[in-house]
Amino acid sequence: MSQPLLPLSIQWAVHLLTLLLLPPLIPGLINKVKAVMAGRNGPPVFQLYYDLGKLAHKRAVFSRTTTWVFLAGPIGTVAAGLVAGLLVPFGHTGTPLSFEGDVILFAYLFGLARFLTVLSALDTGSSFEGMGAAREVAFSALAEPALFLGFAALAKASSSLSLSTMLLGSGLGSGRIAGPLILVLVGWAIVFLAENARIPVDDPNTHLELTMIHEVMVLDHSGRPLALVLYGASLKLLVLGAMLMDPLLPRAPQAWQNWLIFYGGLGVLAVAVGLVESMSARFRMTKVPQFLIAGILASAFAFLLLLV
Amino acid sequence: MLDVALVLIAACCWIGASFLSLFRRLEEHWSRWLGITGALLGSLGAGHGLMNGVPSHIDFPFWHGAARLETDALSAAFLLPLHLVAGLGVVYGKEYWPLNHPRGTGRSLRFHYGVLVAAMTCLLVARHGLLFLLAWELMALSAFLLIGTDHEIPEVRRASWVYLVCTHTGTAMLTAMVILLAHRSGGLLWLPLPAGNSPTLDAWILLLAILGFGFKAGFLPLHFWLPSAHASAPSHVSAILSAVMLKMGIYGILRVSGLFPSIPPGLGAALLALGALSAVYGVGNALAQRDYKRLLAYSSIENLGIIGMGVGLGLAGRAGHDPWLVALGFGGAILHVWNHAIFKSLLFFGAGSILHATGTRDMEVLGGLASCMPRTALLMFPAVLAVSALPPFNAFLSEWFLYRGLFASLSRGYPWSAALALVALAFTGGLAAVAFAKFYGILFLGTARSPAVEHAHDPSWAMLLPMAILACLSLGTGMAGVLLLPYLDRIVAVVAPGSSAMLAQGLRGDMRLLVGAEALLVVVGLVAFLWWRRSTSSPEGESPRPPTWSCGYAVPVPRAEYTGSSFSDAWAPMQPGLRAKIRRITAIFPKPAVFRSEFRDLVGEMYLGPRMERIAMRLLRFRGLQPGYLSIYILYVLLALLGAFLWMVLRGRLLG
Repeated sequence: MSQPLLPLSIQWAVHLLTLLLLPPLIPGLINKVKAVMAGRNGPPVFQLYYDLGKLAHKRAVFSRTTTWVFLAGPIGTVAAGLVAGLLVPFGHTGTPLSFEGDVILFAYLFGLARFLTVLSALDTGSSFEGMGAAREVAFSALAEPALFLGFAALAKASSSLSLSTMLLGSGLGSGRIAGPLILVLVGWAIVFLAENARIPVDDPNTHLELTMIHEVMVLDHSGRPLALVLYGASLKLLVLGAMLMDPLLPRAPQAWQNWLIFYGGLGVLAVAVGLVESMSARFRMTKVPQFLIAGILASAFAFLLLLV
Repeated sequence: MLDVALVLIAACCWIGASFLSLFRRLEEHWSRWLGITGALLGSLGAGHGLMNGVPSHIDFPFWHGAARLETDALSAAFLLPLHLVAGLGVVYGKEYWPLNHPRGTGRSLRFHYGVLVAAMTCLLVARHGLLFLLAWELMALSAFLLIGTDHEIPEVRRASWVYLVCTHTGTAMLTAMVILLAHRSGGLLWLPLPAGNSPTLDAWILLLAILGFGFKAGFLPLHFWLPSAHASAPSHVSAILSAVMLKMGIYGILRVSGLFPSIPPGLGAALLALGALSAVYGVGNALAQRDYKRLLAYSSIENLGIIGMGVGLGLAGRAGHDPWLVALGFGGAILHVWNHAIFKSLLFFGAGSILHATGTRDMEVLGGLASCMPRTALLMFPAVLAVSALPPFNAFLSEWFLYRGLFASLSRGYPWSAALALVALAFTGGLAAVAFAKFYGILFLGTARSPAVEHAHDPSWAMLLPMAILACLSLGTGMAGVLLLPYLDRIVAVVAPGSSAMLAQGLRGDMRLLVGAEALLVVVGLVAFLWWRRSTSSPEGESPRPPTWSCGYAVPVPRAEYTGSSFSDAWAPMQPGLRAKIRRITAIFPKPAVFRSEFRDLVGEMYLGPRMERIAMRLLRFRGLQPGYLSIYILYVLLALLGAFLWMVLRGRLLG
């Protein structure tokens, strides 16, 4: 462990504040990068904060078809994202909540968020939202094995089932792990793009409902529920991004340095996502499963390399 | 002594309830209350036995030897869900299948229901091969009569016959198993065996047990009787069949394997792989169904596969002398037995309420039930989350056990089967979300797709109360699972003699944190909900409710709604049983497009069905021997006697 210059309680407070306040910045950064790449000025980096503030004061409109299930999606997404954010380490800074087997809870929390979002989409009775929901569940069934095979590889490498040890364990530095680790990260990068509805799996900025996956499921939300949906999506970016970056972050002697490294890494990740989005187009819908299966294969290879 | 007596009195109560229901002069509630008393006594006996952890038994002479009835922790683990679901089923059945049912089957249903519960109770306490087989057969027959309750419908008749044939094939294997076991132990009494000198015999006994019990548990190629049987039975019967009777197969495997001092290597890994395949196959077929009760039945195959994975993991741990794996495998299996009993009976009760309200099992004509059956929709919500193994509901805990066991076995030398099972379990979780998002979304959400929904309404309290109890249990087990650990340890000690109590000390700390995280999840959800509530309590009153945004089209029609078939279209066509006929729009002046889909089970209806028909056709040849005249039959008897006589006379000469 790094020198506890900051007491543990302050570390946790910083973790909690990062988790609560930082997420809306990431989509802002990504959009800024995309705008710069396209030669535009683009919206301000803090745009999502303004949007959330505005939506919090607006009244929500509910379709006459919907029931209480419609609210379960936004609320579940935020609740699951926040709890998952307590389980994942933000760089080498310690996690508030960590136990053997938390990695399974982590994965299933995202499953819960997805399931509730799908139900809330079906609750509107709209065929577009039904279509988005069908795509979401179909693709996520492929993302799940990729995620779990990566976990299996890291669990085998670190002989632990706790997310903080698996992602930051001391065994990860050795040369034997390097190859599999790269493969796992490739697989997870694909999962990251798919789960966060980014290009090339899904285009968050498209205006054609027929081509959307995630966005079309939240078309009917407004007011505070929409604020929850947007906040939940950015939370997911932060949490899955932290999971993806953690094995790559170097360890610094001081806690504040670790925090700086983490924030820097997050910035790099946002820029990378922005660059990918600027340079590639969304796949045809039939290509998406192949992309996800590539993710499964990468994780599976990593796992096999560690088994033999 | 006390516990087993209580359980036996419970069985007598159930038998009494069956016979009381036959008397036309008695009010129905006598029989119902006797059944509920039986359920309470049975739960009390089993619960007491599990609490103080001392097995209690009665010995008595039977069939030229001693027989024993015993309740130990393992019996109690299965007696508890049995009496819970049976008791709630009686309450539910009062309204669901009234005594004066138009087709006149109310009385026979009640009679066989009581017999089924009593038979399963006896089965769970019998420690004697013959008694066990008798109870097994009684259970099989009463279940056959229950499945055929609606015997005027050809499909139901067929389902019950297929069930009868399958269960008897299984019984034949079990009879062979009991005989071999008696040969091995020198008596019909089932007591822990000493180390044997013939590993082949042990392996055969265990293999026969897995085959025979696997027929009941619905493991992969032996599952084909299950979907149509569970779909055809009345819903509270489906609940008890699926939530309890299938588990008798698991109980049998655990009981018989627990008798042996050691387990041959390889068996556990094989069962693990078989469970993994069953789970993926079951859930894959579940998402392709249009009939929501068949969907639930296929999901039972999935869950029994998951339980099978746990049992396989435990057996692999026993073969490799790894107590941690044993504890996680068997502990996870038992916990999933309980969890599945809770949420699957809830799902079948809910499905029964829908069937009761709408009269159809086709989900494509339903939809929007949440607005006309709000209470049912609310109570089914925990069930669909639980069956998809999502936190904070109960099935997540048992899958958490299994994941931990699989990860542990990966690092300890069973990598191949564990790796397969790990991927299968993750994939199953993803597909279960498809199947149950379809189940809940198509049935309850959106708008009604046909007039069948128009007059639907919530059932009365007699049907809602059992569902409410099960929904609370589902959440309660999920949040308070840490309290169950010492009891699971006791059960594991029976299944794997000689293993020490690992779960309580090994998992308590982790599970406390896990439960804490789940509680936090609920709290954060509540906070978010309250934050939303504050915005709606504005002085301007209710806001107007416009139609759903449909990309500018203001007149949404139910016909344009996404259907269940299209929802599962990404995965369903991969199921070999689904045949879809599609005529796409091709020409400039196209003919109307058509889509038709039909589902037939791969093993039962596509492979075995035609072959059985062919054999039946060949056997028709012998029909001439059955002319129907009494005199001819007397002639047959005479000829048979004459043949036997000649054989006795000539035997010495013929054989030299």
